Amino acid sequence: MSDASQIAAAPNLPRMDRTQVTVWAMALLPIAVLSVFYFYPLIRVLLISVTEPTPGFGNYIDIFTSSPVRKVLSTTLWICVVSSSISLMLGYLLAYAIVHATGRWQSWMLLAVLLSFWVSILIRAFAWIALLQTRGMVNETLQAIGLIDDPIRFIRNPFGVILGMVHYMIPYAVLPLMANMRTIDTRYVPAARGLGASPFGAFWRVFLPLSLPGLISAGILVFIFSIGFYITPALLGGGRTTMVAEYIALQVNETLAWGQGTALASSMLFVVFTLLIVLGRIVKFRNMFGAA
Amino acid sequence: MKNRRLSSDTETRVERFREMTDGKLVNRRTFMTVLAALGVSSTAFRVTPALAQGREIVLVNWGGDAVTAMTEAFADPFMQADPEYSVYVDGSGPSSGAVKSMVESGAVTWDVADRNMPASLELGRQGLLEEIDYTIVDRSKVRPEHAGQWGIGNYIFSNVISWDTTVFPDWEPAGWADVWNLADYPGTRTLRRHIDGQLESALMADGVAPEDLYPLDVDRALAKIAEIKENTIFWGSGSESQQLFRDREVVMGNVFNTRASVVRRETDAEIEFTYKQGIVWPGAWIVMKGNPAGSAVFEFIASTQDPAAQVVLFELLGNGPVNPEAASMVPDELKPLDPGSPENFAKQISADAEWYAENSAEVLNRYIETIS
Repeated sequence: MSDASQIAAAPNLPRMDRTQVTVWAMALLPIAVLSVFYFYPLIRVLLISVTEPTPGFGNYIDIFTSSPVRKVLSTTLWICVVSSSISLMLGYLLAYAIVHATGRWQSWMLLAVLLSFWVSILIRAFAWIALLQTRGMVNETLQAIGLIDDPIRFIRNPFGVILGMVHYMIPYAVLPLMANMRTIDTRYVPAARGLGASPFGAFWRVFLPLSLPGLISAGILVFIFSIGFYITPALLGGGRTTMVAEYIALQVNETLAWGQGTALASSMLFVVFTLLIVLGRIVKFRNMFGAA
Repeated sequence: MKNRRLSSDTETRVERFREMTDGKLVNRRTFMTVLAALGVSSTAFRVTPALAQGREIVLVNWGGDAVTAMTEAFADPFMQADPEYSVYVDGSGPSSGAVKSMVESGAVTWDVADRNMPASLELGRQGLLEEIDYTIVDRSKVRPEHAGQWGIGNYIFSNVISWDTTVFPDWEPAGWADVWNLADYPGTRTLRRHIDGQLESALMADGVAPEDLYPLDVDRALAKIAEIKENTIFWGSGSESQQLFRDREVVMGNVFNTRASVVRRETDAEIEFTYKQGIVWPGAWIVMKGNPAGSAVFEFIASTQDPAAQVVLFELLGNGPVNPEAASMVPDELKPLDPGSPENFAKQISADAEWYAENSAEVLNRYIETIS
């Protein structure tokens, strides 16, 4: 009722409110689609986690008591912390270099980051296998030039998983870091130098603190990503690096412990949303990827 | 004012999150499962005249070469004999999760699926399967242990020892103990990232006599697997196990006879395998509860018991005929590769479907923990 009268009266409303009506009208379809295909299944997942096999929070308690689950969670945690930290470190160096490069170079460097960003995760994992397997290009080259006698096992171990994950996550670290670094006034560091700071001192005491918001938001972002990795550990882990996403798939497809699987999935979602809320308090999302 | 900014922030956030996770968290099978859970199946999008609906039989298997092979061996002959029916082979993978979500959502589009005996017990006991109709399907065409309440043997496959003869020339493993013997036969091993047929091989390597295997001593088997896990790559899919041997990533391991025979052929027998101490599994047809084609599916299953059809499947795919009558019809040059031939069958151990149906879920999680 009131909606209809509002729309009818729209031409007389102040400009801001008309925009608001349009925005909501445009959002209606996505909201309807999301409700049917996203929120409804999600609610079912939540329900299964507290009803199967018996009603209650048993599945959530199992997360803390079941020893296979604890093993998988601890593997996930250490892989995620290590791969996020490395991504963040390399991403920081890259973003710093890109922001400080001259115009032409800057475009080329950004293009290189985006190119890797656009390549499918599956193709990247297979590319690493082709390069790094026992009879792969890297090992054969190293053997041919006599640097090593026996091939090095680069992949099908945790190292391979971390490598694949870092490769995927670096652009996600670079873009928000760049957006942040671009807002830092380029005259601050020379000013610090002019006041007698060493090159490292100027970076450490001036630039780094100013880039801290970017660092934190990029850190949370890549960590959120790292939790959900599925294909990379499956292909590059040699079967011995089981992360939580793969374990959930196992419970859903194989053991039919849907209660356990959905409880883990819901907990992951909870962790991700919590991190997103924290992230939302630090930085506005539209600024994160450089949008004005 | 404040409200509006908040809500548009939330939208951007949700949208961004969706974009970033697209294609990464959701793989195809999960998507299919979600579709099934919503009561939609990929087959629902196929355009089929309403009249033909009841006369179509959908067979679901694990995809790849198995789609064309089962079409040629089973579907085509059945359609020729009874042109009223069309048999459609769907390779989307009848995982337990997919079966459960399809049957529980009440939108059943599959009739018969290619699984194994333990799965037939596990799913059947949860009320997800139709019982095999032995008034139509012939019990006498399989060995007694291959005719179950909810599953009927459709072929035989084995977990076998495969090894690289270029690394170990003029040598043949005496059994699983050699696979575990890293001191005398160094090199990377491969085992399946699943318990089926792996626990048995570990126990035999540890000196358990084949006849004393069941019920499996899980602790002992896991301890034995832990012994070599640092030198082992655990394969996920059958094609991955082929790849590991083809690329010489591993020198010895536990793989399916079907995959081993393909690699053997490709490498001119540089990669060999033996049925010695192999673990034999019956693949089994299972029928979804409330399947659309009704009892007609059992006519189709009965037709797949024809030994000639099973030999065709063996020649195409390496899956051994489950009908003992078929063994003599296998061409002589292929007989050594047939896991169901009398001499090969005698060398192997029959997996205990009942044990797996009871214990698989819990032990699988422990196995994953052990190898991690």
